[in-house]
Amino acid sequence: MSSSNPAPSTPVTPIGPVKIVLVYQSLLGIYGDRGNAVVCRERLTRRGIDAEMVVVEPGDALPTDGQLYLLGGGEDMAQISAMKAIREDGGLFTALGSGAVLFAVCAGYQICGNTFTVGDRDEVVEGLGLLDVDTRRGTERAVGEVLHRWNRPDGSASLLTGFENHGGYTTLGPKAAPLASVEVGVGNNGQGTEGAVQGRVIGTYPHGPVLSRNPELADHLLELALGRELEPLPMPELDELRAQRIAHARTLSR
Amino acid sequence: MGLMPDRDLLPQLRLRLATQAGRAAALASRMAGKGSGASIRGKVMLQVDPDALAKLLRNRRIAAVTGTNGKTTTTHLLTAAIRQGTTDPDRRVVTNADGANLYHGIASALGEQPRADIAILETDERVVPRMVRDGRPEVLVLLNFSRDQMDRNHEIKFLGRSWREALAEAGEDGPVVVANSRDPLVVWAAGTARKTIWVDTGAGWNQDAALCPECGAVLVHEDRWDCPNCELTEPQAEYRVDGDEVIERDGTTWTLDLQVPGRFNRANAAQALAAARVMGIEPKVALEGMHEVTSPAGRYATTTFGDTTARLLLAKNPAGWAESLPLAQSDPLVLAIDAVAADGKDVSWLWDVDYEQLRGRRVVCTGPRALDLAVRLDYAGVEHIVQPDLMAAISGHPGMLLDVISTYTPFQQLRKLGGLA
Repeated sequence: MSSSNPAPSTPVTPIGPVKIVLVYQSLLGIYGDRGNAVVCRERLTRRGIDAEMVVVEPGDALPTDGQLYLLGGGEDMAQISAMKAIREDGGLFTALGSGAVLFAVCAGYQICGNTFTVGDRDEVVEGLGLLDVDTRRGTERAVGEVLHRWNRPDGSASLLTGFENHGGYTTLGPKAAPLASVEVGVGNNGQGTEGAVQGRVIGTYPHGPVLSRNPELADHLLELALGRELEPLPMPELDELRAQRIAHARTLSR
Repeated sequence: MGLMPDRDLLPQLRLRLATQAGRAAALASRMAGKGSGASIRGKVMLQVDPDALAKLLRNRRIAAVTGTNGKTTTTHLLTAAIRQGTTDPDRRVVTNADGANLYHGIASALGEQPRADIAILETDERVVPRMVRDGRPEVLVLLNFSRDQMDRNHEIKFLGRSWREALAEAGEDGPVVVANSRDPLVVWAAGTARKTIWVDTGAGWNQDAALCPECGAVLVHEDRWDCPNCELTEPQAEYRVDGDEVIERDGTTWTLDLQVPGRFNRANAAQALAAARVMGIEPKVALEGMHEVTSPAGRYATTTFGDTTARLLLAKNPAGWAESLPLAQSDPLVLAIDAVAADGKDVSWLWDVDYEQLRGRRVVCTGPRALDLAVRLDYAGVEHIVQPDLMAAISGHPGMLLDVISTYTPFQQLRKLGGLA
């Protein structure tokens, strides 16, 4: 095929450890979202798969050979700085073109869209254009425990638990599909959907960190990134935590 | 002598009524077994007289202490320093020693000692603008600024901006600010003060200081921090903390010799020392006073729970945990987590704490959010058990000094269970 269509249908099996890239922890890391990277690494190493977590800060070049890239939540100014740095660096686009998976949370999710605004400002900022979504200041800030029904690619459903904390409301365009439907919380914009999926880019709002509370979503990202199925990884305390958070969320009527 | 004119008498009468009503409410609260009643006292006072706080602040020499972490301990250190250098301190010096640092708590403390002419006031970050405006403090201590309760404070810079505005508005009537030169947000927030005394507290938490608060550029953190894009840079400090010593710019050296533990408290004490000096207390005298401080509002207190002797440590946010975790040396170690309003409702911050340093020791996870911690520790490779009940988690460890680190709500419960409050 020509070089104009570089995305392979199945990812190349990595040589050496699976590289999980945490993008700009100092800018997009105020809500514990680095935990998403820790969870991904641990869920691979506990299955005997060599994995490493690479933390990249602004000024350092983003590696282009990672399998999974992670963006987290951040404050207004940090969000814009991160977006500009990712665009100038360019490495993330190269990696996605080679079949990498991108998982973005909260502010990280917003900057992946076409456009967004930050805080109380009305100025529209152009995003990375990786997701067909647009974010604008919402009617009221969405803060609290959430419960979402995740529509898995195989048609089954799984519950997502987490904690949302965002002032921006996100609207999906035709190229992006919602990740989940809202049971408790605001989600994208109070209209019943949460997150967005477009090819190998997935964005969502909840912290928790979301992958620490939702191992099936973590494994889904890893399976997507590795191109193969992973065996189950039992964690009884995590099952108990999920049951507790799900039951708690259902007591909330926000 | 003679009657005060009506315009002075009426407001004073109203304040007196408010104080009496508050006292009655506090008594009722104590008799109902609901704690000290300090907060309800202040609440009732401000209901009866909305101007009570401003009136109570008037005509006193005030030192205010604020920041994300260390407010209570620093307030205790500064109060001890000033009491040491003041005759008849019981009558003349008032402080909100219990950590009640919002409008109600401050009004409550002041209302109980209307004649004290010196007030050392722990002040919540959100109350600082009002304190600067209504209290006209002589000195304002700015300790540090980091993320805390993100469900409520979405933008930490927002608070800093409110301080800048209050200090600018106060102008020449504003306080002398004693501020931590290592913290970019503090330096920026103090930028409008009429006079600032900088204290270099040494390297600490800077993970919330990635961007320049002035211009948004990425800050450079080397020996000192600096903004490559604008004028904001680490200022030259008057005092520098080095181990147990505080060194002035001219080389004069003071030894702290504290009873409260840790690097963080030596930093707090250095700022208290500088603030005490602004209030007219000689360093030697201030240090004598600070040496007597052992367990401010239960922090670092050792007490018994059934068969177990335990030391209580408080940690409210990632910066606080970074300081408290290295202090806690026991094995096993008890960590108590909750997530109600006073703790911050989002426990995601657990993942910004380096619990990996506990590998090789055993942890008892307790409190209502013990399971969140358990999952965090599992992924960190730290051996642990879960016992949500505080008393059950702590007891059963005779023959050792058990360290217990708690978020705010379990900490207050443990103070009560341990007979400290």
